[in-house]
Amino acid sequence: MLEIRNLTVTIDDVEVLADIDLTLPEGELHVLLGPNGSGKSSLLATILGLPPYRIVAGEILFDGAPIQTLPLEARARLGIGLAYQRPPSLEGVTVSSFAAAIGAWDRLEREAAALDLTAFLDRDMNVGFSGGEIKRWEVLKLVLQDPRLLLFDEPESGVDLEHVIAVGEAIAHAVRSPDRKGRACSGLVITHTGLILNHVKADRAHIMKDGRILHSGDPQALFAHIQTDGYSVPA
Amino acid sequence: MTTTTQDMAKLSNEERDILHDVGFDDPSARAATSVLADREMRMALSNDPGVEILPLSEALRTYDFVQDLMFGLVSPDENEHIAMVAEHMHDPLGHFVWVKPGAKVRLPVQCFTLLETPQGRQFTHDVTLIDEGAEVEMISGAAVPGSVHKGRHISIGESYMRKGASCSSVSIEHWGAAMDVYSYGYAHLEEGARSRSTAIMMAPLTHHLSRSHTILDADTNAVSQAIVFAPEGTERIIETETRLAGEGARSEDVARMVSVGGRIVNSAMLVGDAAGTNGFLGCDGLKLSDTGEIMAVPSLRARAEGAMLSHEASVGMIDSEKLDYLMATGLDEDTARNLIVTGFLRLDHGAIPAGVRTRVVEMIEQAKSGGM
Repeated sequence: MLEIRNLTVTIDDVEVLADIDLTLPEGELHVLLGPNGSGKSSLLATILGLPPYRIVAGEILFDGAPIQTLPLEARARLGIGLAYQRPPSLEGVTVSSFAAAIGAWDRLEREAAALDLTAFLDRDMNVGFSGGEIKRWEVLKLVLQDPRLLLFDEPESGVDLEHVIAVGEAIAHAVRSPDRKGRACSGLVITHTGLILNHVKADRAHIMKDGRILHSGDPQALFAHIQTDGYSVPA
Repeated sequence: MTTTTQDMAKLSNEERDILHDVGFDDPSARAATSVLADREMRMALSNDPGVEILPLSEALRTYDFVQDLMFGLVSPDENEHIAMVAEHMHDPLGHFVWVKPGAKVRLPVQCFTLLETPQGRQFTHDVTLIDEGAEVEMISGAAVPGSVHKGRHISIGESYMRKGASCSSVSIEHWGAAMDVYSYGYAHLEEGARSRSTAIMMAPLTHHLSRSHTILDADTNAVSQAIVFAPEGTERIIETETRLAGEGARSEDVARMVSVGGRIVNSAMLVGDAAGTNGFLGCDGLKLSDTGEIMAVPSLRARAEGAMLSHEASVGMIDSEKLDYLMATGLDEDTARNLIVTGFLRLDHGAIPAGVRTRVVEMIEQAKSGGM
């Protein structure tokens, strides 16, 4: 579904990603493990086309077609969605009015109930949400948007331990369920603590450091390696 | 008195359509209705025994006390416009609304003004008395037919809320694009009265001065919001003064302003005259084009120990991060902008009629595309 080849990205001529190769097949869920500042969020933003990232080399293929020249909203319409780590507050824009704008009004109540967010329908997006509420809302936002490639930026950060399980299971369910046209989805989840790893049931993990993917392999094995040897290439 | 077919015949279908855009509904669905067209009070009727609604000239002849209410909150020589209205109207034009003591009025009271003559000059004076313990919802609006774009309207409004009275109100104006409008509003809330008001100033016009002055006695609570829009060629000057005159008085006064090339100046003054008062001023502006101007000047004046006054003001363009966040869900830029602007203006506020909300969104879209 997603194939990244030799991708190099800069911000203001400063390289933030270098020679990234990553393949995410249809139906799989991968995690990106790496320390703060390693380029994980930059990679997700680049896939979606968020500013200010500039691709200086390489390409991003979605369903076999290059997307790196497409604008942000066109990539979203192709079926790429991002759950933000720190989304902006939109004063006055309610969850309901947003759902209506993206044509998901008829599904809102049902999907919100599944994430225990029914009480949020009349609230302004991300205004006064707690850390855990933001994460659950971002998952709900993706479910409403109905993308095929679901990107999650640090979904466990700011969430208390007991709710990490719920967020992890919600992510797994969102990625493992087909989209509304019955097509299989894929997911890419960023984590630097690994707390969510047990709950999302990832198929593959990638270690990222200094803007490069150092190594890819079994998620549990890589996480065990990181816990003993840090973010490095296993022997 | 109840609404009759004869009453309805006093308004043409076209007039009803024009007024509908600013909140008018069938008078049978309202507790009371007044409609003033040019220099004539076309309709003044009540379906509720708790509400009396009369042309002001008739009210002056009917009730002795009305003459004390008229120019009770503002001097006839306050400024040249008010003096002109006072001196040139031996038979004053406007309505008198009286919500009787203790009345709990179930349906809204609606009052509208139409200016139907091109280059018309309309000077009105309205007096509203919400008596002790009464509760009412009011909808008011002003409009012109599509054929009228030039003219002048000057209005004075005096509102009295007696002890423990409660009023929720919405006012919507849609004047002609080349008109000059001057609105002077004065209100006095007596002990324990509660007021919640929304003013929607959206349609283009050449110049609008809106000046209001509110006095709050002890234990009163006044919440007001103004939704202000200025497309290219429109200037809106808004001046408000709220005096927290009695112990325990509370107020919240918020203006949300959007300029698409027009000029908006909002000067708000909050005065804490008594101890234990609490007031807030909010002035938020959003500029949607490189031309035009928004100027927000909130002022606080504490004159008693224990007066807690605060303000917030912000003026800016649409935050690109917010725009990207919405577009990252597949929304196109125009839809994302509209969502942010309508959210900023709080158009989903329950007090705003659905038809008015739709009209406001259309006006913003027209203004952005240069169609206004």
